[in-house]
Amino acid sequence: MAGVAPLTNQQYNYEVIRKFAIAALVWAVLGMFTGVYIASELAFPFLNFDTPYITFGRLRPVHTTGVIFGFGGNALFATSYFVVQRTCQARLPSDRLANFTFYGWNLAIFLGVISYMAGYTQSREYAEFEWPIDILIAVVWVTYFWLYLQTLRRRSQPHIYVANWFYMAFILATALLHIFNNLAMPVSFFGLKSYSLFSGVQDAMTQWWYGHNAVGFFLTAAFLGMMYYFVPKQAGRPVYSYRLSIIHFWALIFLYMWVGTHHLHWTAIPDWTSSLAATFSILLLMPSWGGMINGIMTLSGAWDKLRSDPIMLFLITALSFYGMSTFEGPMMALKSVNSLSHYTDWTVGHVHSGALGWVAMVSFGSFYHMIPRLYNTTIFSKKLIYVHFFLATIGIILYITAMWVSGIGQGLMLRAFDDYGNLAYTFVESVAFMHWPLVTRALGGVFFLSGVIIMVFNVYMTIVTAKREATVKAAESEVARAV
Amino acid sequence: MLKHENIETNVGLLIILSLLAMGVGGLVEIVPLFYINDTIEKVDGVRPYTPLELRGRDIYQREGCYLCHSQMVRPFRDEDLRYGHYSLAAESQYDHPFQWGSKRTGPDLARVGGKYSNEWHVQHLKAPRSVVPESIMPNYPWLLENDLKYSDVAARMATLKKVGVPYSLTKLEYDRNVEKFGEEQAAWLDINRAEENLLTEAKEGNFDGVPGRLTEMDALVAYLQVLGTMVDFSKYDEGYFVEFR
Amino acid sequence: MSIWQWFTDLGNSKIAALLIFFPLFLLIVFYVYGSRTRSERLETYKYMPFQDDDSEGWNKKSDTQK
Repeated sequence: MAGVAPLTNQQYNYEVIRKFAIAALVWAVLGMFTGVYIASELAFPFLNFDTPYITFGRLRPVHTTGVIFGFGGNALFATSYFVVQRTCQARLPSDRLANFTFYGWNLAIFLGVISYMAGYTQSREYAEFEWPIDILIAVVWVTYFWLYLQTLRRRSQPHIYVANWFYMAFILATALLHIFNNLAMPVSFFGLKSYSLFSGVQDAMTQWWYGHNAVGFFLTAAFLGMMYYFVPKQAGRPVYSYRLSIIHFWALIFLYMWVGTHHLHWTAIPDWTSSLAATFSILLLMPSWGGMINGIMTLSGAWDKLRSDPIMLFLITALSFYGMSTFEGPMMALKSVNSLSHYTDWTVGHVHSGALGWVAMVSFGSFYHMIPRLYNTTIFSKKLIYVHFFLATIGIILYITAMWVSGIGQGLMLRAFDDYGNLAYTFVESVAFMHWPLVTRALGGVFFLSGVIIMVFNVYMTIVTAKREATVKAAESEVARAV
Repeated sequence: MLKHENIETNVGLLIILSLLAMGVGGLVEIVPLFYINDTIEKVDGVRPYTPLELRGRDIYQREGCYLCHSQMVRPFRDEDLRYGHYSLAAESQYDHPFQWGSKRTGPDLARVGGKYSNEWHVQHLKAPRSVVPESIMPNYPWLLENDLKYSDVAARMATLKKVGVPYSLTKLEYDRNVEKFGEEQAAWLDINRAEENLLTEAKEGNFDGVPGRLTEMDALVAYLQVLGTMVDFSKYDEGYFVEFR
Repeated sequence: MSIWQWFTDLGNSKIAALLIFFPLFLLIVFYVYGSRTRSERLETYKYMPFQDDDSEGWNKKSDTQK
């Protein structure tokens, strides 16, 4: 046998995971670059260049789709295929279907991004894809579900590991959300334009049930699945408490579905839905922190790893940001706080402390663990992982601090009155105030993006080295056989 | 006795129980909204958009305006002074999809209709900083350059009719609209006269300030000018709407 | 009013949900933490991710470098 690589390749389908991992990094760079660009447009509006395709309104869905579905989605496909195969010790049932999920998913995102720039959008946040792309996504998703299910059924372990519960809940929830939120009537069979099946209040409720659970399941439950596998593996010790993970799982998936309406506080939605959502948002703090504690305490007794292992640093920092933003979230879901924070940059900052701090950081950590194993090698440079970590952390801190200043500042200005009971500021005065925070935010984005570019370089060099090693090894065994 | 191990070792059970746990929240919060009568206030004046306004709304969606402008005034004193009466559920009952928005990078637009002149809107959309120096809104010069496409406006209205907007195709539906919205409004909502209506409204309104040309600006300004103007709030007691909250 | 009618009245949905799901939650917590033997049994499942390492050779290399 020439080396050990062919053996793992026979046992598991690593090929498709490699593709997903690389696609995730490509989308990370594209999506985050778009993010930095639109952030700069807000700070310096001339950057819109009077060009329809790159104005803020059209690029913003390009950014959100690129990072959530492009980077996040591909990262989830990659890690979930990795985790399900390894914890079940079973290969994905079909290579062809696995490849179909890869090409289908990335085609859908690519088409989506192009169509937004051309002005085709359902104008539902995080569900902007028009109906033909929605159908493609639905087909890919059903295939994904089938592959996942069949791999679980082929497992050589009697038990299904907790990471897989989270991934499975994410797949099921995303299917539910995607189908119900995208119910729409196309204008014609050959055109992209469609109108939502629901209107007004019901439409708003459906959209934010979707919108918040896209965060809850796509960006939280699934990444918790990632956490439950990669944190223990990287730490070399089992998860802190399996019992806590049982409670964590059921409480989290139950509670998340209730809280979407907190995006609609004080709107024309009936008060009872709003109060219900606020109550459940507070309750949600408990399973969220349960998960965080379970992750962080996995390292209990081995804290020194934080000093020697940059991958651990990524994973534990991600969990800390997860804890922070799941505390901030319920607080912002209180109706009194929400009256100030809603519609402002505070919300944007909150999303990014979750998206950059939790989702991206835990993915980076997991990728640094997984990619060398996919290529049967070690990482090219540990030092560059440290550089990436510090760039990312500085970027996040700049970003969320700037957004707190801008969001809370604007919120306070807009509700300020002078001595005579008149409004103290016009709207545009608050816009002028936000200039420097917006510049700082864009700068934070630049830091974060540079970290990602360094990661891409590091991964690229790792892969190149792995390929070189493989050829050398193959040659050596040839020589050995000849001798 | 059900052990957790049974769930952990049985994929089917895991899936079913997960779906149950996840289903409850959505069902309890969404489904009642479709049949609790008090969800939408009983109020006069709210009507579907005219063909020209509808095309304007499509352009509003296309350009992603909803990403920076909300259309939902909340019941606070500062918003009342800044924007006007808080928004009612009834006011977006024909909005497929809703455009409430989630972020105010620019001001709320739920009641922008009638606040500024057509000329102001045209100039502001073409070059926002020429009227509001501190604005960070992009320029939209192409709205004045692009001719408005309206050949499929009847198809668009027919689609909206399918999802429940009371545009009329038959005599019976027309008569029902006359009863509900009055003769003048019912005429605008007739799908058979969609193109004709659109052209008439654009010509009479001359929203873009360029007579004889029908641009995307005409449609967008027509849409902006109707936002929040349909309900006459002087007709209702302040306490009336609270009953529905 | 019968109990069934009370449960189907939407005005009571919040209390109904509380009455159903909070005891259920307590039940799960009690089940999970209630018995020592059950606790120990459940905790043994957390070693699952480590059971694959011996079945293949890929991480021998990374082990030697640690």
